[in-house]
Amino acid sequence: MKKKIKYFPASALLLIFICGMVRAQSNDECYKCHLDLGDAPSKIYKTDIHFIKGISCAGCHGGDFGSDDMDEAMNKEKGYIGVPARNNRYQVCVNCHNDENKMKRYGSSLASDQYEKFKMSVHYKPSYNNQGPIADCITCHSVHDIKRTNDPLSKVYPTQIISLCGSCHSSAEFMQRYNPALPVDQVQKYRTSVHGKLNAKGDPNAAECVSCHGSHEIQPVKDSRSLVYATNIPSVCANCHSDTKLMSKYKIPTDQYDKFVSSVHGVALLEKGDLSAPSCNDCHGNHGAIPPGFESISKVCGSCHVLNMELFEQSPHKIAFDKNNHPECESCHGNHNIIHSTDEMIGTQESSVCVNCHKVGDDDKGYMVAGEMKRLIDSLRIQDDETKKILDQAVQKGMDVSDATFSLQDVRQVLIQSRTTIHSFDLDMFKENIDDGFNIVSKAKVTGEEAIDEFYFRRIGLGISTIIVTLLVIGLYIKLRKIEKKA
Amino acid sequence: MESEKKSKHGKIFKWLDERYNLTGLIEFAKKKSVPKFRETIWYYFGGIALLLFVVQVISGILLLMYYKGTEDLAFESVHFITTKVSFGWLIRSVHSWSANLMVLSVFIHMFSVYFLKGFRKPRELTWYTGIGLLAISMAFGFSGYLLPWNELAFFATKVGTDIVGEVPLVGEPLLKLLRGGEDVTGATLSRFFGFHVAIFPGIFIILLTLHLLMIQRQGIAEPEDYAKLPPNEKKTIPFFPNFALRELLIWLIVINILAILAVFFPWELGTKADAFASAPVGIKPEWYFLFMFQVFKFLPGEILFLPGEFVGLLLFGIGGLLWAFVPFWDRRTPEGKRNKILTYFGIFVIIFILVFTILGFIME
Repeated sequence: MKKKIKYFPASALLLIFICGMVRAQSNDECYKCHLDLGDAPSKIYKTDIHFIKGISCAGCHGGDFGSDDMDEAMNKEKGYIGVPARNNRYQVCVNCHNDENKMKRYGSSLASDQYEKFKMSVHYKPSYNNQGPIADCITCHSVHDIKRTNDPLSKVYPTQIISLCGSCHSSAEFMQRYNPALPVDQVQKYRTSVHGKLNAKGDPNAAECVSCHGSHEIQPVKDSRSLVYATNIPSVCANCHSDTKLMSKYKIPTDQYDKFVSSVHGVALLEKGDLSAPSCNDCHGNHGAIPPGFESISKVCGSCHVLNMELFEQSPHKIAFDKNNHPECESCHGNHNIIHSTDEMIGTQESSVCVNCHKVGDDDKGYMVAGEMKRLIDSLRIQDDETKKILDQAVQKGMDVSDATFSLQDVRQVLIQSRTTIHSFDLDMFKENIDDGFNIVSKAKVTGEEAIDEFYFRRIGLGISTIIVTLLVIGLYIKLRKIEKKA
Repeated sequence: MESEKKSKHGKIFKWLDERYNLTGLIEFAKKKSVPKFRETIWYYFGGIALLLFVVQVISGILLLMYYKGTEDLAFESVHFITTKVSFGWLIRSVHSWSANLMVLSVFIHMFSVYFLKGFRKPRELTWYTGIGLLAISMAFGFSGYLLPWNELAFFATKVGTDIVGEVPLVGEPLLKLLRGGEDVTGATLSRFFGFHVAIFPGIFIILLTLHLLMIQRQGIAEPEDYAKLPPNEKKTIPFFPNFALRELLIWLIVINILAILAVFFPWELGTKADAFASAPVGIKPEWYFLFMFQVFKFLPGEILFLPGEFVGLLLFGIGGLLWAFVPFWDRRTPEGKRNKILTYFGIFVIIFILVFTILGFIME
């Protein structure tokens, strides 16, 4: 009973508001007359949100809606504008939607910044025939039968919006006028995606155009303000995929974003701003987003890591993984949480991923190969460090070993190549590669040692020559004393 | 056997003597003597400078076998000399150290001649040729400094030649003549290389020959106190072998010092010059130009409506001329009177050079 009393004032106010609106509509002479004439806009306007809110025809077209005299009702002096001109018809909407007070007066909680956002968007740019913006309010929200955005009949309702956006973006002829480079198969791809399939089934929660691109504020993809700009994509996807309540329905985890952020790809993209690093869509696709299948993972990763993919596909692991339904790259490197690969990933020690499958034993060749590869990499790194120390010693002694120091830079390249060659899991190929590094290191080491020897040779040579010259000086001095004594 | 050898040597001597009158030369050498006095030690610096010049010529010729005087190859060729050529590091280091020691010896020689009044009549021309030799030695240093085409030398040459450009009237054409254009470029390097290995050695040899001939003709100058002694109290030593052996002894010591410096403090090559790079901090010319460089740094932009650098050049010009023409304006010394002003002026110049050189080293 108490609850009912509590809601009474609100209910009373609503009733007064509705009564007021009905009165206003019953007094709308424009609507009455046009409905009697049987014109199409008046017929559909009945279900329009603006009609429901009590906004008369004059709200947009101007004039005097209270007068049944046509000349008076459509008098320009009373603000009648007729059908608003195409190039600035959006101003009619802006008059109210950009005014917070007006919106409140009609009991709307809609934000009043749509126009500001729209002005910044790509759709606000002038159309090819200078007929106002490329797309304006009416282009998307239609006219005379505008519904609430959460009304399934609204043109911008999640299940409707695909065809709305597609009406322009799927038309090659239309898009060619503005951005010929932009594909026109987004809707087609979308329908193959998980999102698209759920949307087609009427699921309003599945991501559609607006979920990722935004609505009034849409920017070109390459604009850093765009929601789908490479560095913004992870958080856009996370809007839904990190929402545990929303995702529980689809039984998928919600930790992908957290994992990605700390991954090597996430750090490169989000912290270092490296746009060549992959974002969610680079592996999952964008309009045609689906999780990559077991067999296709190496292809997905291989679109960037080409050499690793080629080597892996020719390796014995490819057949074994496919046979056992192991995801390819993911089995060793993980997926969203891929960390920077280190040499500790290979070998037979505990930190190695090889020992997840290969066990110690005479008949496990993989175990032996992993151990040998690790030994060779470690050995090259140790020899490289030792040689650097020898060269440093030579430099400290004032010897020039710049050529040898420079040549050691190639060892880094050899190590990178060798780490790539690991993906062939072919020990001979790996050895062929890493041997170049050992050759460079041994040559540089010899140069460094020779430089140090040369340093000591110079010192000894100087010592001997100094002794000889000093002896000569002493001899001469004695001779001089003798001569001068005689004199 | 011994007598057979002697007779062979005798025959060769006789053959040469018939043609070149060696006996006359030996007689002359036997009679030649040099005065012996308290300050004799200072007179050895002329000989030291001569030795170092010979070292310069020999090491320079050896460097010429590998050095390439072009913008693209100069730095690389010096790097090649110091790293790949057998004993190239030693030759280059000796050349650089010997150059510096030579300039130092010439300076010491000049000051000792100045304070012992060795320039007075009749040795005015010996002094003038000596001043010429000092100037060419410094020019050798300035031109040789750029040849490795490293960063420091490049910018130091830029600053150094900029100062030349401040000389009124002839400054601009002189600057272009030195640089081979508006700026320090590969053309400057080729030009400096030409100066260093052809023009300067030519002039130097002429002046040096005149200098030595005059000394030979007039004998070594006697200090004022020594000259006043009665002839029987004047001590002398024979030129051969006493003086020559003393000189040789000092030369050997200098060679030892040179070898130690060259091995323990090898001359650095630095990084290759890049005309587009910004000037590195701490650009400094060779130490013997440092006092002038430091004075220019202290000079204000304008002095009495005249550009500061111009005033500096003017003062150095006047000072230099006053110094060079000391036999011309010093009237008292030829008359056998002591000229204290001359001594004070000399002391002032030494203190001035020392103070500004030290400031140049310690101030960034």
